[in-house]
Amino acid sequence: MESQWLSMLDVTIDFDQSHLFFPRIITWILVILLAMIVVTRYRLLVPGLKRAGRVLVGREGEFDHKRFFGTLALTTAYFYLMSVLSDVFPNTGYSFLIMSVAFVFLLSLLYVDHLTRRLFVILVLNALIAPTLAWYVLAQLFRITLP
Amino acid sequence: MDILSHLTPMFFGLIAAGTLIGIIFGAIPGMTATMAVAVCLPLTYAFGLQNGIALLLGLYVGGISGGMVPAVLINIPGTPSSITTTFDGYPMARRGEGERALKIGIVASVFGGLFSAAVLFFFAPVLADFAIKFSYVEKFLIILLALTVIASLCSNMLMGIFSGVLGVWLSLIGTYSITEGGNGEPRLMFDFMQYYLIDGFSLLPVLIGIFGLTTVLLDAEKGFKDETGQGPISLKGGAKFKFSVFKGQLTNLVRSSSIGTFIGILPGVGGSAASVLAYSQEKNFSRDSSQMGKGAPQGIVSSESSNNALTGGALVPLLSLGIPGDSTTAILIGAFTLQGIQVGPLFIGNNIDTWYLMIIALLAANVMMFGIMYFAIRHIAKVIEVPKYILYPLIIMMCVVGAYAINYGIMFDVWTLLLFGIFGWVAHKIGLETVPLIIGFILGKSAEVYFVKSIESYGNLSIFFTKSPIAMFLWVLIAVSVAFAIYLRVRNRRQPTVES
Repeated sequence: MESQWLSMLDVTIDFDQSHLFFPRIITWILVILLAMIVVTRYRLLVPGLKRAGRVLVGREGEFDHKRFFGTLALTTAYFYLMSVLSDVFPNTGYSFLIMSVAFVFLLSLLYVDHLTRRLFVILVLNALIAPTLAWYVLAQLFRITLP
Repeated sequence: MDILSHLTPMFFGLIAAGTLIGIIFGAIPGMTATMAVAVCLPLTYAFGLQNGIALLLGLYVGGISGGMVPAVLINIPGTPSSITTTFDGYPMARRGEGERALKIGIVASVFGGLFSAAVLFFFAPVLADFAIKFSYVEKFLIILLALTVIASLCSNMLMGIFSGVLGVWLSLIGTYSITEGGNGEPRLMFDFMQYYLIDGFSLLPVLIGIFGLTTVLLDAEKGFKDETGQGPISLKGGAKFKFSVFKGQLTNLVRSSSIGTFIGILPGVGGSAASVLAYSQEKNFSRDSSQMGKGAPQGIVSSESSNNALTGGALVPLLSLGIPGDSTTAILIGAFTLQGIQVGPLFIGNNIDTWYLMIIALLAANVMMFGIMYFAIRHIAKVIEVPKYILYPLIIMMCVVGAYAINYGIMFDVWTLLLFGIFGWVAHKIGLETVPLIIGFILGKSAEVYFVKSIESYGNLSIFFTKSPIAMFLWVLIAVSVAFAIYLRVRNRRQPTVES
C-alpha cells in the first residue's frame, strides 16, 4: 500500500529534455503566483495602472520627465556611441574616455537647477578630469579592459 | 606563515581607502553600502583576491557606518539601516548635540562591528563543517529555506515569494550547463538571443544595474529635490562627547549587537529590520525609555550597534553555505567568482589564509572606521553637501566599467546593466522586492542542479522529505519561518509597531 503511494511520486527525467524540467516547474509556479497577485489585488491593480499612465504622461503627480527620460536617453546614447566608437579605437579605452567626457558633462547639465558661469566651469572641469583620471588609473595603471 | 606575507601596507591601505569611500557613500542619502561595493568592484579586478576583499570589506563597513551622518544631521537615513538613528540622533542635533550624537553612534558601531566579527570567526567554520555533509537534497532544501525566510519577512509575503521565484526564473535563461551535468541545451529564450545569452545574464551587470542605475533613475524621477527643505545642522559648539555616556549601556550594546548579528545571518533580511528590532527591544526592556524618540543616547546605541553588527552576521551564511546574507554580500559573491573562488561549505577549509585575512580585514575596517569617523567627523559631515549632479554621472560611468570589465570586454554586459537598471526601477514601482529577486537570481542555477540531480539519483520526490533527519529538520524550519511570518502579520494588524 505504502509503496503504491510512493510510486505516485516517481519521476523520471529524460536527459535530452532535462534542460526544460526545472524551468517548466518554475514557470508554472510563477504563473500561479501571478494569478494569485492579480486575484488578491484586482481592485488596486486597474486604478494603479491608470494612475501610473497619468503620472508618466504628466497629467498627475510629481514626476520630473525631463530628468528621468533625459537620463534614459543620454545613458542609451552613451552606451550605443561607446559601442560604435570602440570599433574605431579597439582595446584602447579611448571610446570610453571620449564618450564619458561628453556623457558626464551633459548629464550634469541636465541635473543642475540654476546654471551659473562658475558652475558651468566646475561641470566642464569635472567632466574632463574625472573620466580622464578613471581611464588613466583603470586602463593604463591597472590594465583593466575598457571599451 | 603565508598569511603574514599578505599583511602589507597595501592591504591595510586598501582597507582604509575602502572604509573612507564607504563612509562617503553611506553619508550621501540615497547611496548605500551596496552601491559603494558595486561601483568600486572594477578596482578589485587589478588587486587579486586578498587585496580586493580588503577593499570591499572596508567599503561594506564604511558604507553601513556612514549612514548615521545624514540620519543625525538632516533626519534622513543615509542607508536604510540607519532609520532608527534619526529617532534620537536628529533631536539631539537640533539641541546642539550633533557631534555628541555622532560620536555615540561611532562607538556603538565599532562595538557592533567587532562583536559580529567575533561571531563570524567562531560560528561560520562550525556551520561550514556541518554543511559539508549535505547531499544535493539538503543543499536544495537550504536554498528553499533561504528563499522562504527572505520572502516571508518581506512587507508583502506574496510579492516576496513572486520576486524570489522571478529571480530564479531569470537565472535559468541560457543553456543548461554541461559542466554542471546538464545537456547544454538553451532554454527560456528565442533563437536570435542565443548568441548573447548562451551563458545567461552575468551576475554583476545585473547587480550593478539594480543597485546603481536604478538608484539614479529613482532620484532623477524626483528631480533631485532637497528632501529636508533645510541645510544640515552645524557641528560647531554644543555639548562635548564623553565615554561615560556608555555607563549602564553594556546590556543594550550586547543585546542590540546580538540582534543585528542574528538578523544578518538570516538571508535577505534588510538592515532596517535589525535596527528597528533592536530599537524596539531597548524600548521594551530598558529601565527608563521615556526619553527615547526625543534625543536619548540609548536609542542611537541600539540602532548603530545593531546595524553594524549586520556586517559580520551577513558573512556567516555567505562563507559557510554560499548564500548571501544581504544585498551587499550578494555582490561579494560576484567578487569571489571573479577571482575563481566558489563560496560554500568548502570555502573556509580550502582557503584558510583568505578566511583569516577576511577576519583581519573586517576587524581592521571597524577599527579604521572608528579612527576616521571619530577624529574627522566634522569634515565627513560636509559630504552631505556634495551635489548629486556631480556624483551621479560619475556613478553611471563607474557602473559601465564594472559591467564591461567583468567578462573582459563584452558590450552586451553594458546593455544588461541598462536593462536591469530600468527593470529595477519598474520593480520598485510595482512593488517587487529587490532582495529576494537578487538572491533568487544568485541561487537559481544551483537550485536547479541540486533539484534535478536529486531526482535523477533517487527517482522519487519523497526523497526531499525522507532523505535524512537534516532534511526533515529543514522542512520544520521552512514551516516555522512561514508560520512566524503569518504570526507577525496578524500581530502587526492588531497593534501599531515602532515601524509605523
